[in-house]
Amino acid sequence: MTLEWVHPGILLILGAWLLPFLKGRLKRTAMLVLPAAALVDCLLMMPGTYGVASFLGQELVFGRVDSLSLVFSYVFSLMALLGMVYSLHVEDDCQHVTALTYAGGALGVTFAGDLLSLYVFWELMAISSSLLVLLRREPSAVAAGFRYLLVHVFGGLILLAGIVLYWSETGSLAFGDMGASSGGLAWAMILAAFLLNAAVPPLGAWLPDAYPEATVTGAVFMTAFTTKSAVYALIRGYPGAEILVWVGALMAVYGVVYAVLENDARRLLAYHIISQVGYMVCGVGIGTALATNGATAHAFAHILYKALLFMGAGAVLQMTGVRKLSEMGGLYKTMPVTLGLYMIGAFAISAVPLFSGFVSKSMVISAAGEAHQGLIFLMLTLASAGTFLHTGLKLPYFMFFGVDSGRRAQEPPTNMLVAMGLAAAACVLIGVFPGLLYAYLPFPVDYVPYTMQHVTSTLGMLGFTALGFFLLLKHLDPEPAMSLDTDWFYRRGSVGFVRLVQKPLARLEYDFVSEIYEFVIQRPVLAVANLLRKFDSTVIDTGIMGVGHSAQSLGQVLKTVASGHTQHYGLIMAVGILALVALISLVS
Amino acid sequence: MNFLESQLEDPVRFTRIKRWFYVGLAVVALAEIVLPRVFGGLHSHFSFESFPAWGSLYGLASCVAIIVVSKALGKLWLMRREDYYDS
Repeated sequence: MTLEWVHPGILLILGAWLLPFLKGRLKRTAMLVLPAAALVDCLLMMPGTYGVASFLGQELVFGRVDSLSLVFSYVFSLMALLGMVYSLHVEDDCQHVTALTYAGGALGVTFAGDLLSLYVFWELMAISSSLLVLLRREPSAVAAGFRYLLVHVFGGLILLAGIVLYWSETGSLAFGDMGASSGGLAWAMILAAFLLNAAVPPLGAWLPDAYPEATVTGAVFMTAFTTKSAVYALIRGYPGAEILVWVGALMAVYGVVYAVLENDARRLLAYHIISQVGYMVCGVGIGTALATNGATAHAFAHILYKALLFMGAGAVLQMTGVRKLSEMGGLYKTMPVTLGLYMIGAFAISAVPLFSGFVSKSMVISAAGEAHQGLIFLMLTLASAGTFLHTGLKLPYFMFFGVDSGRRAQEPPTNMLVAMGLAAAACVLIGVFPGLLYAYLPFPVDYVPYTMQHVTSTLGMLGFTALGFFLLLKHLDPEPAMSLDTDWFYRRGSVGFVRLVQKPLARLEYDFVSEIYEFVIQRPVLAVANLLRKFDSTVIDTGIMGVGHSAQSLGQVLKTVASGHTQHYGLIMAVGILALVALISLVS
Repeated sequence: MNFLESQLEDPVRFTRIKRWFYVGLAVVALAEIVLPRVFGGLHSHFSFESFPAWGSLYGLASCVAIIVVSKALGKLWLMRREDYYDS
């Protein structure tokens, strides 16, 4: 790695290990300085290729810096800073070190120019983020954390297998547009690994399983990095892949459907991550300049407002100790600041004019329109109404208003409110001045979000969604229940598999397979062995003993010749010589 | 935040808020029909977008459809007891 270029991810990953050795004010300063330094590092970076290393005859590129990696690095490092502000009060070095490592891993993925270094940072993210779940140290969190780790190890192995295949097919590890090997096994495996991390159903059930179980502050980090680094990888490797258009639009609707049924506040928000990432995946699939810009801009805006929403729900969880909507209600009386800041995030995700989602989400929807994808356009717009319905109406209604639960929780610590305030400010800033974000998008932006038609039809859609909400409010009471998702296959399906092995399969083996084995293999083998033993004892033994016996009797005869007297030997030699002479004279 | 509390807890004031909400909806729907046609014109990708108050109608329809379909899916298929995976 050259000295004129410092990898912001390595800076965070190594710098994080300072924290356990620091105390008090110094530690809190370091917690802020590290991500701030990474942010400044990214902001000062010039496009180019840095940090090239040679490994196994391949070039590893740790610093591919271009407009796409830069815009993602800005928001990742900004998010790391906001997340650290939010967790300043937490007295747990493990969480801080893993959170910074996790953010560093995301930056590593962003700047990776080859598949091998991408893979290393990819796995680093999987391990560090699973720790953020495990570190809540409750039985349900530990179980969810291990499930999360297993799913991501599985995804990582698919990625590695895909990379090895790709390497053997093309002879190159460079990570770029994979379109040339479209449809091949390597192409599909790497895509599957990316889609798993982007939480695309049916590979995405790990997200709503794990995120609500993470620590209050850890969940805020998790909302940002795993899915959005996967979106980055998709933009880089799979732009214009047709399948992503449909997968993305389905995802957007899927998350909304599950959010209706959900009672856990953070799990509801987790399903809306899936829904929002659906817009980005769809944008990648459409693949036009507007769509790619839209996916990038939406990832940027999404990281900030989703973090804000998780910060708000986390603040309520921390102050009340309650995670279910059916047990909240009436909190607006004592947590008005949290409510206000949460609502800014809710307006941003719902794409209310003047908030960030309005200027980013609409790019993807417009791109679907420009591509004449009518059904996609309708699905995305429907999901948009659903987003406002849940994040903007249902969740705040049951959390802060609704039936008063009698809880009088206070506002969270100041640092949490400051982090929420900063994220909220960013949401409004992007919404009011979209040009600030548009300037950093990978393609030149020729898109105007604030047209009379766009603003009025959005307001109409949001207003009448609210009307529908209030009309159907009595059917929306959160129920104490959970909903089946594809994690059923490894949570219940695996239990069934073990039972199948223990009872019927074991019985089958004992009663049937082993019987057959005895009959078909064991008995014939014994019989043949018996035959061989008999042959051995009769024929072979007799032969060998016969040879022995004859040698012995010959020895008995010869013994009389070897008398030990020299004159006998001389006589035998003389007889022998005479016989030889006689033989020669006879022959000649 | 006594202000918000007094607005929401008082039935008379709450009814007034509701009335303003409905007025607001009417204004929004009307604005959607009129304003784009007066200023700037319509730039639609699809013909259905030119339908009067398209956004408002589609918003309401989407909201109702999402709630009804999701609840039906949940009741008939997806929802289980909270301790489903613990048992």
